[in-house]
Amino acid sequence: MAKVLGYLQAHANVLKWIFFAFLLGTLVFDFMIERHHAHFWGDSIIGFWSLFTLFGCLGMIVFCKGLSHVWLAQPEDFYDREDSDNVE
Amino acid sequence: MLSNTILLHPASYFIIGAFLLPLFSRVRIAQKVILLAVPLLAFWQIHYLPESFGICHFMGFELTFGRVDKLTYVFLHVFTLMALIGAIYCLHVKETGHHIAAFLYVAGSLGTTLAGDYLTIFIFWELMAFASVFLIWYRKKKRSIEAGYRYLLVHTVGGLILLAGIFLRYKNCHDLTFTRILAEGATTADYLIMIGFMLNAAVPPIHAWLPDAYPEATVAGAVFMCAFTTKTAVYVLARGFPGFEMLAILGAIMTLYGVGYAVIENDARRILAYHIVSQVGYMVCGIGIGTAMAVNGACAHAYAHILYKALLFMGVGAVLEMTGKSKLNELGGLYKTMPVALFFTVIGGIAISGFPLTSGFISKSMIIAAAGVDHRVIIMLMLSLAAVGTFLSVGIKLPYFIWFGKDSGVKGKEAPWNMNLAMAIAAFMCIFLGVYPEYLYKMLPFACDYHPYSAYHISETLQILGFTGLGFYLMVNYLHPDPKSNLDVDWFYRKGALVFMWCARKPISIANDWVGEVYRTVGMRFTMLVAKALSWFDWEGIDWAVDGSAKGVVKGGDQIRALQTGKIQQYVGGAVAALMIVLLVIVFL
Repeated sequence: MAKVLGYLQAHANVLKWIFFAFLLGTLVFDFMIERHHAHFWGDSIIGFWSLFTLFGCLGMIVFCKGLSHVWLAQPEDFYDREDSDNVE
Repeated sequence: MLSNTILLHPASYFIIGAFLLPLFSRVRIAQKVILLAVPLLAFWQIHYLPESFGICHFMGFELTFGRVDKLTYVFLHVFTLMALIGAIYCLHVKETGHHIAAFLYVAGSLGTTLAGDYLTIFIFWELMAFASVFLIWYRKKKRSIEAGYRYLLVHTVGGLILLAGIFLRYKNCHDLTFTRILAEGATTADYLIMIGFMLNAAVPPIHAWLPDAYPEATVAGAVFMCAFTTKTAVYVLARGFPGFEMLAILGAIMTLYGVGYAVIENDARRILAYHIVSQVGYMVCGIGIGTAMAVNGACAHAYAHILYKALLFMGVGAVLEMTGKSKLNELGGLYKTMPVALFFTVIGGIAISGFPLTSGFISKSMIIAAAGVDHRVIIMLMLSLAAVGTFLSVGIKLPYFIWFGKDSGVKGKEAPWNMNLAMAIAAFMCIFLGVYPEYLYKMLPFACDYHPYSAYHISETLQILGFTGLGFYLMVNYLHPDPKSNLDVDWFYRKGALVFMWCARKPISIANDWVGEVYRTVGMRFTMLVAKALSWFDWEGIDWAVDGSAKGVVKGGDQIRALQTGKIQQYVGGAVAALMIVLLVIVFL
């Protein structure tokens, strides 16, 4: 199995194009299917979930990583270190 | 008669097993037989449980140890199955105590699930907390010991809140039967009980114990813990509090909260721990929506989630066991040496992301669809966005940075056969449920006519998965893991404890010294004076006193002195403990 994976990694370019073709395929598929019972307005727009996902995904990465950079991220010994400061 | 009733209860097998295990600590093979036989027996036995059993009277209360219906059954089924998988996974573990802790933990979970009244729930609830903390401590590292104490403290507080709710409820209606509580007539007592349950379900802001403790647990311990505590809480919430609007909103927030942290965390097991928060959010949300379809979805998702989350913890645990590392920035390129673990982890990853033909596809969508049918658009979009984050963080990021990414030079080797077997069973179940969802749907508490494999749902899922992949592809460099950990609300009590300890060391300790000093100069002299006076009185004054009483008084004075100096520290210690509890209550309430 490791060999197969190694082979695939060596041909990452081909995989990339297969992946893009798959994305296109999902959009084409979304054109063809029947929409029976829409739960809300988004369900009747073709390709809604593609846009929702792409923007949601990028937004989430930027927001979470950004928040982590400016505020949340601390050295891994954050709590231990403070403790030892207090002990003196 | 009594023994028959005891043997009916699946938890008693695990408790008896826990007592038998140390007897065979020298005979490893017998221990292994017990480890496998007990969960197998329980898994078989739950099919033959009567609707009600084990009712006994204790101090005027009626305790119901066994109450079985479809809601109980589906959870019992997955708990005993998971106990079996977990037992296989930890067959190689040498510490008998670890196995005992795991067995008692499972017993607590089964006991809670079967309990028909609040007192019985409370007993098993605490058994669960106190047994599981050993699964953290057995890692035997300083961080684990500390995390274990925090875990225990938080769960003790949660247990006390639950107990307060139970007492208040008994005062209000003199009935401890555990049945559904209606949202309209809920009192403070019911909300206290709900908060106690919510703490175990890791609902923010009382969730921080989970990502704090689980990454510090032992490799096998984390596999057990990820399955039982939160899902037992989901069961009791589904039993007692369906239709509470608060749960629907908090659940939807949970899904995004957990997944947001999973995107930024570095430690693989912490990513998975945060992701439990997210996944349990779906269940809590489904319970809060409260329709038959939503509660069905919550139960189905609990069943599916236990299996694939355990699979993920097992896969990452295998890496930790074999390489000693679990941080993404220290790993990479492991596909050459640990492809089997990669294979199983990816199955867990695609199942949790809800790929078609996996268990996530048939369970998660049920809750999202229930939100849609109920016309809760915002909640539905939040749950869908959390599904995006799930695939991003656990489906792609986790395997990518461990097995691919840059080659870290870390050399692993494949895990022992028992770990791989446990992973294979869990992976099989993930695919089996996806291909044959009726197996799971049949077990659900309400009649179910949900069909996940509609063209629209498949199209929606493929778009979500595909474009999340695109998002990762575009941002892969930005997502690179840093050797950092992120603050969470446990900051309040971890820092609060430090401030508190400072107070204990500085002002209180100074006051203690001062009081001690005052005592040494004033109190001791006073005691000695009294003793002298009394001895004079005894020796010189009265000859009818009992022989040796003067000596007794001197000795008594010494004892009082010793007692008092010791006591001051104890009083301070007591005050410290009481203040700690008050602080925790303030933080949590």
